[in-house]
Amino acid sequence: MERIRALRKPREESYIDYSLIFIILFLLAFGLIMVYSTSSYEANIDLGDSSYYFRHQLISSLFGLVVMMLISYIPYRFIAKFAFPIYIAAAVLILLVIPFGKKINGAKRWIYIMGMSVQPAEVAKFAVIVFSAVLIIKLRKNLMSPKGYMTALAFPGFYALLVYGITRNLSSAIIIMGITVVMLFISTPGYKRYVIAALSLTALVAVIVLIIVNADSSSGMNYRFERVLAWIDPKAHASGKGFQTLQALYAIGSGGVFGKGLGESMQKMGFIPEAQNDMIFSVICEELGLFGAIAVMLMFLLLIWRLMIIANNAPDMLGALLVIGVMGHISIQVILNIAVVTNTIPNTGITLPLISYGGSAVIIQLAEIGLALNVARNIGR
Amino acid sequence: MKQNARVNKQKFTIGMKKKLVVLFVIVLLAFVGLGVRLILITKNNGEEYEKQVLSQQQYDSTTIPFRRGEIRDSNNTILAYSEKVYNVILDAKLVLRSEKYLDPTVNALVRCFKLDGGDIRNYLSEHPTSSYYILAKKLSYDEISEFQDLMTYGTDTYDENIQGVWFEDNYIRKYPNGSLACDVIGFTTSDNVGTYGLEQYYNDVLSGSYGREYGYLDDDSNLERTTIPATDGDSIVTTIDGNLQTIVEKYIKQYNDEHANNVRPGNGANNIGCIMMNVHTGEILAMASYPNYDLNDPRDTSKLIGMPAVDEKGIKLQGESIFDSGVYITEDMIKEFSEEQLYQNYNALWRNYCISDAYEPGSVAKPFTTAAGLETGSITGNEVYQCSGKLEVGGWDIHCHNTYGDGAVSVERAIEISCNVGLMHEAQAIGKENFAKFQKIFGFGLKTNIDLAGEVKTENSIIKASNMTSTDLATNSFGQNFDCSMIEMITAFSSLINGGYYYEPHIVKKIVSSSGSTIKNIEPRVLRQTISQSTSDKIIGYCNKVVAGEEGTGKTARPAGYMIGGKTGTAQTLKRGNRQYVVSFMGYAPANNPEIAIYVVVDRPNVAMQDDAKNATWIVKRVLTEALPYLNYPMTEEISEKEQAELDELRAQMVTPVAAQEEGEAAEGEKTEGENTEATSEENGEGDKTGEADNANKDTKEEKKEEKTIWESFDVDEETGYYIDPNTHNLVDPETGNEKGGDVLPDFSGTPDADAASTEKSSN
Repeated sequence: MERIRALRKPREESYIDYSLIFIILFLLAFGLIMVYSTSSYEANIDLGDSSYYFRHQLISSLFGLVVMMLISYIPYRFIAKFAFPIYIAAAVLILLVIPFGKKINGAKRWIYIMGMSVQPAEVAKFAVIVFSAVLIIKLRKNLMSPKGYMTALAFPGFYALLVYGITRNLSSAIIIMGITVVMLFISTPGYKRYVIAALSLTALVAVIVLIIVNADSSSGMNYRFERVLAWIDPKAHASGKGFQTLQALYAIGSGGVFGKGLGESMQKMGFIPEAQNDMIFSVICEELGLFGAIAVMLMFLLLIWRLMIIANNAPDMLGALLVIGVMGHISIQVILNIAVVTNTIPNTGITLPLISYGGSAVIIQLAEIGLALNVARNIGR
Repeated sequence: MKQNARVNKQKFTIGMKKKLVVLFVIVLLAFVGLGVRLILITKNNGEEYEKQVLSQQQYDSTTIPFRRGEIRDSNNTILAYSEKVYNVILDAKLVLRSEKYLDPTVNALVRCFKLDGGDIRNYLSEHPTSSYYILAKKLSYDEISEFQDLMTYGTDTYDENIQGVWFEDNYIRKYPNGSLACDVIGFTTSDNVGTYGLEQYYNDVLSGSYGREYGYLDDDSNLERTTIPATDGDSIVTTIDGNLQTIVEKYIKQYNDEHANNVRPGNGANNIGCIMMNVHTGEILAMASYPNYDLNDPRDTSKLIGMPAVDEKGIKLQGESIFDSGVYITEDMIKEFSEEQLYQNYNALWRNYCISDAYEPGSVAKPFTTAAGLETGSITGNEVYQCSGKLEVGGWDIHCHNTYGDGAVSVERAIEISCNVGLMHEAQAIGKENFAKFQKIFGFGLKTNIDLAGEVKTENSIIKASNMTSTDLATNSFGQNFDCSMIEMITAFSSLINGGYYYEPHIVKKIVSSSGSTIKNIEPRVLRQTISQSTSDKIIGYCNKVVAGEEGTGKTARPAGYMIGGKTGTAQTLKRGNRQYVVSFMGYAPANNPEIAIYVVVDRPNVAMQDDAKNATWIVKRVLTEALPYLNYPMTEEISEKEQAELDELRAQMVTPVAAQEEGEAAEGEKTEGENTEATSEENGEGDKTGEADNANKDTKEEKKEEKTIWESFDVDEETGYYIDPNTHNLVDPETGNEKGGDVLPDFSGTPDADAASTEKSSN
């Protein structure tokens, strides 16, 4: 520790990625505005307080910014030392859902810690970034061997199973695995296996979808299968699983090029259920039009680009992998969210990072950004 | 530390950097792909989706119901009001929005409203897109409050998973007094439209305007929602005095109950009507008719039983025999009624006999003929006519009630004993032109424009001067051959006794807004002067003799302790010779300074001999006995012991405190015989006729003493106490000499000569 302090002293001017901070602040502020716009009508009716969601999100965002600042000052190598405890802690948090889980909207995904609701799946995403990065560094030589590769997949896979098994949260499980795969993709040479894996996965999905579509509608129709059917023909399931998707599509379609104007969405008035969550992007489309939607996507692209730059300039492999993990997380979640909203993939509950309502999510995402800022701080060292 | 340093030295290789760029490119492509998809959705489906969005907005307006105004009596007692109720509405779309809403919502509905959970689930699965389904109707606030708590955020029992249920406000009409004044008030259909009576006539006043909550798109296609609150209807204050109304209805009911199923199955009469009016204002104080019905349940079939059945035009069905008064509804008949027939009869039940039915008034019209004669100067009032029991007019023999002749009849006595011949002479003196003119002045054939729905038009039954034959004139003079309604008759009669002022009758005196401020006062309105004060005074004198005179036909109408005036009426109906009569009594009080008029009509009483005005005077006497003390008229006459006993009996059933009680008690001490006879005759419906006849007979004997009449030498019929005419074997009323079955009027059809011969035959 002494040496670290000694090393830092001569370089007072550490690099701070202001453009990243600006993007983050912009997205956060924009997210708060959109949360207020989408939720105020329903919140007023249901809760008698139009700013209920806005206030909660504002508190979480401010707290998240503090966390981001803190993490950006703690050297990432120091954090990496605690990779395994972090991994265990996150796993325990998920397990705590079983006895202490609080059911919200029919799913047991939250636990309360000191009066704050925490979604362990979100914590797991942070944990998996840190842990996988350290694991990949550790496995370095062995990574190319099937056993090493499998080990690298096994730990996050355990998380994914826990998350899916306990909280029935398939999307979080997918994201956890996705983050790991992205990190492994960067850290292992060659494309062959990824292309093959991607193709075979696509084929598998296609086959499953075909089976579901052709299956007798009365038999074996379960919760997830109906989502798949609703994805293929949302109008046929307009009163059930297709309702949310269809209403989101209506919102996007009715927005036009420049939208109806901020706050003027009609779809948020009871038609898109919980518009401030998964479907916030559709309201952005409705209110701000294609112009606004593409601007938001560009902001995310800028964010991802900035993260790529940081990763490429990271002082070491660990820093790069951490930033790649963050980049992977944000990319996957943005892409999946917009894909759901546009009915490109079946509906699964994925929020739009930094914009959708959700306290745990925004804090964890800001913590991850803090990690990236931390790595950026060490550029050129 | 050492290992850490080694690990840290691992570099991010060029290969990795390249892969990172590849990753970024993949992400970029995904973004581009999604961006393209967004653009495509907007471009290809934009318009369609925009329409969808607009179409699923609720600018279809919701109606906010108004509260219908109240109907109150003159003492501000509420006769009709509207109570707020709630309909439970299920929005299937909202419930089915999420799986988690379904069970809590259905369970709560089942628990709070005792609904069938299976039915709700079936409906939800069959109509998943419905957003308006009425689960339960007209629940009170108490019934819904439990469920409302479940839905209200912040209450202890709040359950966020209960969704898609809301309450729609509505109002239901309530009539706290049930059947009281049913024919006057009328009722409302479920959609707040009044039918019959005040509810119909004042529908516009009582109705407020619906409020609306609606959405619309402004210039920028933004949805705006606006609420226009409902305006509550105005209330009306009637001139009806609830206490008088109760008194009137009580005795009508009592009359009916005593005479129901008497000589024929069914009610005590086809119709019984009673109107009380303030003669100086035209205000209706009470108006009732029987059969009545419960305003809270107007479609109660039990009220139809005993009523004469009607056909599709509302005309009473003819019985098999010409002597049958109608076909009376029984329980079995109701079961066989078609929906249409049922409603025909409901309409007959709901109509207000007092204003909606026309009938030949009979002798109650006689004072009008006399008044017209006096007013035109055709008679002076000092004339004396000779009555031989009949008068030949235009080739027809038209009889008097007393077929044996009344002898010398003055103008006054003609009214007192109701002599047809005397009146026919008067009419001949008046002449057709003047007679027709005065009928118009008295308002016969004109609607009175009373503020009630369904007043009958009698214009067509009035004979114009140009078409009037001498026979028409003769029969019109004593109230036959033209129709009027009860309200026409009492309105016109009031002008005879109030100095000649014809007031427009009215039943609403004030319109009050829902906040209580008076919107309109309805003042008494004099339409015209019918006769002069002096004529009016003379008519009052004649009519007083009807009750007070020794030979008066309306003696039985006098309430104990009071002097009243009036005129009886016993009208034949069509077909002539059917032995069906409409008997009536028009009374007023006090006798010398009339303020209150009362008119009772009993249409085809359920008695063996219908042509007896005592059926009407029975009711008038009892109503006035109770009503006059209530109206604070002091007793002016001495009360005999017999009357005192009657009074005591009546007071036991009275609804109002008796102001003149002490006076009545002061008169105690005098004793006369016969009180038992009178008492039993009133109580016992079966022996009523006999009792009264006996009693009347006794009175007649006492008063007339030596003066024997022809019919008193005839044999007495054991059963009825009537005399039997030795030639025709018809029964003769011991008091009036009125021959039963031998009608006053011939059947005016065919040629006069032939018919006169046949009448001659039957009466001799």
